[in-house]
Amino acid sequence: MAEEQINGVIITFFSTASAVGKTLISINMASELAREGYSVCLADFDLQFGDIRNYLRLNPEYTITDLCDRIKADSGSSLMPMLTTYAYEGVAFQVIPNPNKLEEAYNLSPETIIDVLKNLRMQYDYIIVDTTSMFSVLNLALLDISTIVTFLGIVDFIPTIKNMKIGNETLRTLNYDSNKIRLVLNRSDSKTHIQLKDVVSILGEDFYHILHNDFISASESIASGIPLVLNGQDSELTQELRALVARYTNKGYQTTETQKKNSWLSKIFR
Amino acid sequence: MINNNVMLVEGNRLYLEQLSNIIRETETVTLVARFRDAKDALGQGMVFTPNIILLDADNPNIMSLLEEFHRVYPHADIICTGEKWSAESSSLYVNAGAKCFLVKPFSSEELLDAIFAFSKPAAGGKEAKVMTFFSPKGKSGKTTLIANLAMAISRKTNASVGIIDADLQFGDMAFFFNLKPQSTIVEAARDTDFLSPVSLNSYFVPVDKNVSILCGTKEPSLIDKVSIHSLETIINMARTMFQYVLIDVPAGFNPTSIAAAEMSDTTYIVTMLNGSGFEVQHIQRSLDIFTTWPDYKERVKIILTRVEPCTITSKQQMEELIGYPVVGIIPNAYLDVATAADDGRMALDLKPNSPLSQRINYLAGRITKEKQDNDDDF
Ligand SMILES: Nc1ncnc2c1ncn2[C@@H]1O[C@H](COP(=O)(O)OP(=O)(O)OP(=O)(O)O)[C@@H](O)[C@H]1O
Ligand SMILES: Nc1ncnc2c1ncn2[C@@H]1O[C@H](COP(=O)(O)OP(=O)(O)OP(=O)(O)O)[C@@H](O)[C@H]1O
Ligand SMILES: [Mg+2]
Ligand SMILES: [Mg+2]
Repeated sequence: MAEEQINGVIITFFSTASAVGKTLISINMASELAREGYSVCLADFDLQFGDIRNYLRLNPEYTITDLCDRIKADSGSSLMPMLTTYAYEGVAFQVIPNPNKLEEAYNLSPETIIDVLKNLRMQYDYIIVDTTSMFSVLNLALLDISTIVTFLGIVDFIPTIKNMKIGNETLRTLNYDSNKIRLVLNRSDSKTHIQLKDVVSILGEDFYHILHNDFISASESIASGIPLVLNGQDSELTQELRALVARYTNKGYQTTETQKKNSWLSKIFR
Repeated sequence: MINNNVMLVEGNRLYLEQLSNIIRETETVTLVARFRDAKDALGQGMVFTPNIILLDADNPNIMSLLEEFHRVYPHADIICTGEKWSAESSSLYVNAGAKCFLVKPFSSEELLDAIFAFSKPAAGGKEAKVMTFFSPKGKSGKTTLIANLAMAISRKTNASVGIIDADLQFGDMAFFFNLKPQSTIVEAARDTDFLSPVSLNSYFVPVDKNVSILCGTKEPSLIDKVSIHSLETIINMARTMFQYVLIDVPAGFNPTSIAAAEMSDTTYIVTMLNGSGFEVQHIQRSLDIFTTWPDYKERVKIILTRVEPCTITSKQQMEELIGYPVVGIIPNAYLDVATAADDGRMALDLKPNSPLSQRINYLAGRITKEKQDNDDDF
């Protein structure tokens, strides 16, 4: 029996301010989905200065440049063997690294990159996409093809918040279904005198999910090359990351504690 | 009050009438004489004691005419007028003694700007030092740096400083100064074909005695309204309007940042140290591109922000890691810069003696004195 071809879910992390945690969160989302048993591909489309290879300590044999070359030569060819594997304690997922050289990054065509995604999404349950903070041709095409776009915000000084507002408004003008765009706040309680409520009022919109500021955990995870959701330290940030993934997979995330409670509850309400 | 007695020299009959009417309608200015033939103006004009001469630069002999007018009317300001501004010819005129260049037909306001406002010290032939602040990734602290540095440069030297916010999607320089600009780089780009440095001046918003800003786009989609060609023209004009021009560009390599860097005397690679260590790699990757310029050693410089501790040892360590000199290091001062920006003010003003202000003043000194970049200089 021939298997039905299914297109996997594409989740893109986008923002209009830099250094808001797109890379850190996309890595953790990929890791958590992989940990739950899904087949996952993580794409670094911050082509010029991508950090996924850095944060995960990868030494890729092939990059997006090679994938683009391959698909241009033969649109039907299997790209999976050209992906880079990240594995930690039995959890594994595939990565599309950004190009080795800046010139390559500058010259890649957005259409070909989208072709690569279209090819790969038939092979994976989830494709997680990391981007840069601007409305480039590539990013607009990625927003189009994505199932879910996570628009990441941050509590920073006023100029950044205003740019987030303008970015969010621009995103809305693209007329995607409102379910598709999810506003997530990262580093919610970072040290600044702008408050969460100020951000919400400037944006005119509530956040779908909030992740706390935990600079030590975040830095340690980057320094060690091990994602937060895999490193066994169940920090608050880790739990919030898991909860975000659960909301995306519609599974209802269960910590060990709530799992117990749930099973107890489920006995009562069976 | 000094009289503004204008003599109009205009070869084109239609312009002669049109410009005469505009001059007559302009308050505080008197049209004392007008000539179609430049030779007549040279021979007869002094009877009318003009102190401002509008000279038709579309005349094929303009260069020799400029010289003669300058000799015959040594105390008058000569303003060249022409149908189109170009960087090359305009700098020729200015070098030959013209005060500035006005595109015909001009408005009363532009004429007044040319007469009064545009008596900036930049005039006199010397062109500005143009600097682009490039960063591999966003959130490098470069907008904060540019804003404070511009202030520091102008205070140190009384020089005129122009900031161009060419971060075309998310330029936020205006927010730093709490401005709600009437005109931005979008309008300037739209009008470049009809502008000269004099008229471009009115698109800049003054924020301090000698500092003004060409603000960025109000929304990301407007990036399409600013062509690279018009950006280049704006930079060329700004070069003749100010003594220092500081350009903010989008992060990474893109047509905008590349064009601005190509046109600049100095390109600063600005990077914020966030502790991960990968910033070094990003800087090196950028250097790989910039070092293809034959004169990259003079043109490309590195500034690191949020350096902790902000000491000469840190600077030397970073130089060793990067393998390239670092000209400036800026300390971590998040609350100071954020508080200032939230208020539309400069950290430099709020805490003039803070380590941040000291490092910025040091950099300003280095830029204005064009000191040799010594490794051990801190
Ligand atoms: N929740 C958090 N708490 C504390 N620090 C965080 C958090 N999320 C991210 N960070 C830190 O913020 C910095 C930026 O994160 P990251 O590189 O993921 O951002 P980005 O949006 O991908 O940035 P860029 O636009 O530059 O690619 C990193 O140093 C990371 O450790
Ligand atoms: N010297 C500094 N020390 C600590 N934080 C700083 C410093 N300079 C800037 N920052 C902070 O870093 C953030 C980015 O600053 P800024 O907007 O100047 O950078 P940028 O490179 O222009 O960013 P963008 O990518 O948004 O254009 C702001 O929160 C700002 O307050
Ligand atoms: Mg990133
Ligand atoms: Mg900026």
